[in-house]
Amino acid sequence: MNWTILPILLPLLTALLALFWGKPSRARRVVVACSAGVQLVLALALVTRAYHGETFLLNLGNWTAPFGIVVVIDLLAAVMIALCTFVALVAVLFGYVELSSRIEHPLRLPLTQLLVTGINLAFCTGDLFNLFVAFEIMLIASYALLTLEADDWDVKQAFPYLAINLMGSTLFLCAAGLAYTLFGTLNFADIALRSAEMADDPRVLALGLLLMVVFGIKAGVFPLYYWLPNSYPTLPIPLAAIYSGMLTKVGVYVLLRVFGTVLPHSLDLVHQLLAWLAGATMIFGVLGAISRNFIRGILSYHILSQIGFMVLAIGLFTPLSFAACIFYIIHHIIVKSSLFLIGGVGACLNRTDNLDRMGNLWRHAPWLGVLFLCQALSLAGLPPLSGFWGKYAIIVVGLEKGAYVLVGACIVASILTLFSMLKIWNSAFWNSDEEREVCLWDLRWVRMSWVVAIMVVVSLGIGLGAELIFRVAQEAATRALDQEGYARIVLGYVGKGATPAP
Amino acid sequence: MNGPRSYIFNSMVRLAVFLVNVFALYLLLRGHNAPGGGFIAGLATAISLILLSLALGVQEMHRLLRFDPVLLAAGGLLTAIVTGLLPLLVGKPFLEHFNFHLHDVPLLGEVHVGTPLLFDVGVYLVVVGVTCKMIFVFAKSTQGLRALVAEEERRYSSPVEQPIEADVPRAEAEVGNQGKEKTHAD
Repeated sequence: MNWTILPILLPLLTALLALFWGKPSRARRVVVACSAGVQLVLALALVTRAYHGETFLLNLGNWTAPFGIVVVIDLLAAVMIALCTFVALVAVLFGYVELSSRIEHPLRLPLTQLLVTGINLAFCTGDLFNLFVAFEIMLIASYALLTLEADDWDVKQAFPYLAINLMGSTLFLCAAGLAYTLFGTLNFADIALRSAEMADDPRVLALGLLLMVVFGIKAGVFPLYYWLPNSYPTLPIPLAAIYSGMLTKVGVYVLLRVFGTVLPHSLDLVHQLLAWLAGATMIFGVLGAISRNFIRGILSYHILSQIGFMVLAIGLFTPLSFAACIFYIIHHIIVKSSLFLIGGVGACLNRTDNLDRMGNLWRHAPWLGVLFLCQALSLAGLPPLSGFWGKYAIIVVGLEKGAYVLVGACIVASILTLFSMLKIWNSAFWNSDEEREVCLWDLRWVRMSWVVAIMVVVSLGIGLGAELIFRVAQEAATRALDQEGYARIVLGYVGKGATPAP
Repeated sequence: MNGPRSYIFNSMVRLAVFLVNVFALYLLLRGHNAPGGGFIAGLATAISLILLSLALGVQEMHRLLRFDPVLLAAGGLLTAIVTGLLPLLVGKPFLEHFNFHLHDVPLLGEVHVGTPLLFDVGVYLVVVGVTCKMIFVFAKSTQGLRALVAEEERRYSSPVEQPIEADVPRAEAEVGNQGKEKTHAD
């Protein structure tokens, strides 16, 4: 049996099971958590096997590649699936300790699993139209989750999210139509082969620009990020962790995939534009973060600022910068999700995450402070934490390419990141105003901290074992940039995991 | 708002519901090799149900046809997935389909059947379920009824949920909702 379909099928079946089960109960929670654990183990197995040179390929319904639908899991996709399942597992566990099953919303677990289905499908699809389908599954689940437990204020905040993403989807469909008229195919590998011959065609450039706008919207690149920073803070904490970790990174992954694997590598204009937009995203994102005074708001803006680093790495467009981008994605997903969860623990202790009313956390819960420091300094990029290595690699490539202004923007954004993290630290942790009450009697925070600790340990592991992770990232980048190799595997049936043609 | 009851409309709808559904069945069955299929058949059936709800009123219709659209859609999805999974049992890839040509079937003669029909039935159920759910929620909200009936409320709504647009000033709502207190910068 071919395992390639399982990362999509398992969460989908889990979602259906949870939906039929209906009423939230402890048994349902255990089943969903077990399924999430199995998904993680499976994804890790995929990563190990992909690292040793395998590429998993499945022709759905036994239709051969350029005509049928293919599911391709190469190293990059496997790494992303592993990250997604890990974040989903931790978020699900965090949700369990945060709320008792008596007051859990019955649709939250099914929709979370459906969201994971969409995200995983986006990672392993092999053609442009299925990517659109994956985005729709992901977005529809995310619209529902965003407004599931919302009040009228939250619904208002969610509206830009809905409107801008709908516009993005429409543009995506237009781009897919354009791609089909240009190349006569939507299969990634087939497009890669055919577009190589027409690299100078201005229509390919137009397609590149259009796709950049579409995935820029999904990733939250300047000036199209308005939907993100106001809608994410309205989410419940565990969901915010999944959203902040995964959704924008799907956009970054697709940018990597489309510009690295699918479109010709000679679209310098698009790459340059991407790099400059990334610079602007970094600066404006971090300025927005400084302007906010509640933890979730600050962190939401930081997503944008960090997206800037990743997209800059794509825009610089060398094999090393792609590796840096993949490393940065790995680092960022874990750190950002865990920071949201730490913010949630803090909000549980202080009964608010408004920095004007938080305080005393360092005195009463020092270990939470340690967790926060590890992740905040990692986000700002202090060695030897994981953020440093990603930023270091990006800056090295930037200096090699002579993009001094953008390197300067990186450094300024990092310093401002540190500043806004210090803002949280000073108000929530260091502040010793006696009036700021800490609800230590609410014992949920201990278990919540333990769940977060899992993520922090993984994140520290990434920082200390950076060489191994970077080697994986380099391998993934090399293979993602190898258009001919990708096409040979998908179209030529020479990959080890390939199903033989009928 | 319900308009005045029209006798002509009601009688026509009683006829049309059957016609539309027979047509939907026709579309579903011919779907594999000719224009048609689960999606379009599902839309046709959904249209017939919407017509029925216009003639009878949403509540009356719910009394007649007791089904939960969400479970119908989920059941359809499950049917489709299981159809996709069956070929795995015989070592074929996911979603592979098989067709059989049967000779000398009583009454029907030559029949061409295949597993794509099962998949189409799944799609059909998903489309009927999702469309009905959306239309009925909208219809109920325009008529001032509750969006979910009691049993749906047990399944799909949160025990701690507050109604949207409650006439409570924001500050009071926050006090009552301390666990997930909101902080809005602007």
